[in-house]
Amino acid sequence: MKTNIRRLSYVILGSFVLLSLYIGYINVFLGPALATDPHNRRLAVYEAKVHRGTIYDRRGTVLAKSQEGRRSYPLGKNAAQVVGFISQRYGRTGLESAYDRYLLAMTDEDKIEVIIDRLLGRPRVGNDVVVTLDARLQLLAMRLLGNRRGAVVALDPRNGEILALASSPSYDPNAIGQPAGRSRDGKVLAVYDLLQKDKRAPLLNRATQGAYPPGSTFKLITAAGALTTNPKVNERIFNCQGSLIIDGFRLTDTAAHGEVDFRRALAVSCNTTFARLGLEMGAERFYQTARAFGLTLNPWAGGLPEVAYRPGTLTPPEKMNKPQLASSAIGQGEVLVNPLQMALVAAAIANDGVIMHPHLLARVQDPYGGVLLQSVPRPWLTAISPEVAGVIKEAMVDVVREGTGRGAALPGITVAGKTGSAQNPRGDTHAWFVGFAPAERPRVVVAVIVENGGAGGVVAAPIAREIIRAVLTAGP
Amino acid sequence: MFFPRTYHLRAVEGKLLFWAFAYLLVGAGALYFLKPAPSTAVVLVGALTTMAAFWGLHYFWSWTSFGGDPFLLPLVALFSSTSLVFLYRLNPAYAFRQFVWLMIGLFTLWMITRFLIRYRVLADYKYVYALTGVIGLLLPIFFGVEQGGAKSWLDLGLFQVQPSEFVKILLVLFLAAFLAENRLALAEGTRTVMGVALPAPQEWGPLLAMWGISLLLLVFQKDLGAALIYFTTFLAMVYTSTARMAYVCLGGALFLAGAAGSYVLFEHVRLRVEVWLNPWQYVETAGYQVVQSLFALAAGGLTGSGLGAGLPQFVPAVHTDFIFAAITEELGLAGGLGLLIIYMLFVYRGFVIALAARDDFACLLATGFTALMGLQAFIIIAGVTKLLPLTGVTLPFVSYGGSSLVANFIILGLLLNISHETQLLKPLEND
Repeated sequence: MKTNIRRLSYVILGSFVLLSLYIGYINVFLGPALATDPHNRRLAVYEAKVHRGTIYDRRGTVLAKSQEGRRSYPLGKNAAQVVGFISQRYGRTGLESAYDRYLLAMTDEDKIEVIIDRLLGRPRVGNDVVVTLDARLQLLAMRLLGNRRGAVVALDPRNGEILALASSPSYDPNAIGQPAGRSRDGKVLAVYDLLQKDKRAPLLNRATQGAYPPGSTFKLITAAGALTTNPKVNERIFNCQGSLIIDGFRLTDTAAHGEVDFRRALAVSCNTTFARLGLEMGAERFYQTARAFGLTLNPWAGGLPEVAYRPGTLTPPEKMNKPQLASSAIGQGEVLVNPLQMALVAAAIANDGVIMHPHLLARVQDPYGGVLLQSVPRPWLTAISPEVAGVIKEAMVDVVREGTGRGAALPGITVAGKTGSAQNPRGDTHAWFVGFAPAERPRVVVAVIVENGGAGGVVAAPIAREIIRAVLTAGP
Repeated sequence: MFFPRTYHLRAVEGKLLFWAFAYLLVGAGALYFLKPAPSTAVVLVGALTTMAAFWGLHYFWSWTSFGGDPFLLPLVALFSSTSLVFLYRLNPAYAFRQFVWLMIGLFTLWMITRFLIRYRVLADYKYVYALTGVIGLLLPIFFGVEQGGAKSWLDLGLFQVQPSEFVKILLVLFLAAFLAENRLALAEGTRTVMGVALPAPQEWGPLLAMWGISLLLLVFQKDLGAALIYFTTFLAMVYTSTARMAYVCLGGALFLAGAAGSYVLFEHVRLRVEVWLNPWQYVETAGYQVVQSLFALAAGGLTGSGLGAGLPQFVPAVHTDFIFAAITEELGLAGGLGLLIIYMLFVYRGFVIALAARDDFACLLATGFTALMGLQAFIIIAGVTKLLPLTGVTLPFVSYGGSSLVANFIILGLLLNISHETQLLKPLEND
């Protein structure tokens, strides 16, 4: 009987150990999300007690601040989706939601400060959050997009700092709760209610949540896969007849490019060459290459979600037949990406194959300017080898110098890029451009999409050019 | 006579009690300074009286050379301190009533260690327990008042009693006495049916009947928490006495069948399960409590918001079933795990007592009480943290509630008496 008692005691004490681990998991891993859950009434209490901190851009421009009991957003519609808003009624979004714990001084590190404030009877003040965005770049990107639907992403490939996340159409976060009309049954509707019903989806952050066919910009991934499989691809000559027949499926090109080498094929964006490269590589390797660039991954998975992110989608290799593989290799078929993802593809090429973890947080500082938390650049993925990155980079320089991307060229600066005109079920092609500059030592990566804009080289490349110009002439 | 053989035990107890008192004084002091109100001196008086009562009991045991386990009383002093401090912080009126119940509990403990030290006589009345237990569970069905969805309280005018808290003691007493008598027959069987050794119906009949009746009654009272505790304690004791996994598996299968049956039959069971699986879907209604509890658990972080600085009042019934959420919010993960460790130490000492016990009855009794206490703490904490579906039971020694507190002190007293007996029969090797 003693043996039985011993076994029973192991079971009962073991279940306590299990319970401890589970409670630790809830507290540590689910804690941050639970603390800022909209159903948590504690938030409203903290909100009332604490002077919510300010959100600054990298140069000290105010993106969100509390004034006379209400929150104001000086950039208005120009940074609405990324900065977000807070509302008792409509919840919290964007950076406002992601950094709630810091803005309200709710973290473990703040506790001693909170006790001191209470003892001294001082009002509680939240921490300030400084983000990597550049307000001037953000404004420029929004102005360049104008009334068109689309998105612009700019980031620094060397450290993963996101400089701009523009999404159009947008909305004014200052007006979110204001009455905007009446519904058919006479209820008062707020601006937010109308925005939610708006078919142009102004609440959607197209830069990180968009799901677009990537078009020819995806040839960068195909090129990377082909070069990794066989470095000699760079010396091969391809013959483009203007179309290709795969298992009875006819893949057409914009022109018969004739005899082209690898660099030329990328420069003129030759569909048949890249379809062929995709077929040679095989579905499995093609898929793995896309994954190495982070295509189906969320950089914020397992950590603090700074922005709502929709990972890209690609048909799994076992379900991909040859015609599908050929169209996916040129960015048609069943590939969907978001603009930030395409910026990260370009960032891998710019940064010798390594994708730095994209991030928006620069630092958290207390109200007196002391730094509480400083973000440290860290690698996210190694997509390709430096050699492969070098070859593609040269080809991308050709794209802008003499190929489809001439619209992005800047005097005195070597710009590398790739255009795309993605066919889609709704009207004209989406205009794409991804690129970086200066090609020798890249400091900025840009991805631009204009929905139904037409040709990428004509519509998207000039937007990228202006963004690159603004970054490189403004200094570090 | 100046150095009786139990002297060192009581010395250990005295030292440990000192630390429990320090803990209580820190808590009471924090409340005294942080919540300035007209009657805060009450906090200090209450703390000092509590200390004096525990100390008095300890002193009495030293005087009578009581040989009970020296760790249990200090552990219970830690539970009681936590209970009083948090109840005062949540609602001073509850704290006062709990204080009165604590005094009654300590008095009961004194009575048991004074007058029932020869607890072995308890083995003779097993069918009295069965009958009393059934009556105890039957009464609330006819004369009971409903609280929190369960009809398990009896209104006695001055206060309300929850008989199921006391019946659980009777259940363990009955099982210990019955199993000690019949365990060999149950373990090895007295007949062979198709090559399998099985016990005769007269050996398992009363067992199953008593247990089945109590479960049925609890189902009618909608007291699912108590039913779950009865059930798991029953299985633990049957396993301990027979070592036959077949009984445990059969019991488990019956339980699953019963659970599935009540899921189909009873609306309130169905709701409990659905809320457990996805409380967010019922966040404004039935899931509100458990979701608020999770918020409280998360709000404390590692070190807690500090006593009095959290917002546990957002959790309904936080002073009874959900007190663990309040403790974790204000003392943090560290405090919550600390409390779990104290329960583990209590359970550990309980099993040490069971292992040292001299015969089957004592052994089973100690095992049953320890398992009961451990399982009850586990079931309620797992419930408020959404690890298991929520069933309303009290957190032993900590939740607000007189019946539960007094019942737990009775269990404590019997455990101590069992260890006292072992101590007296031990050879003098260590002295």
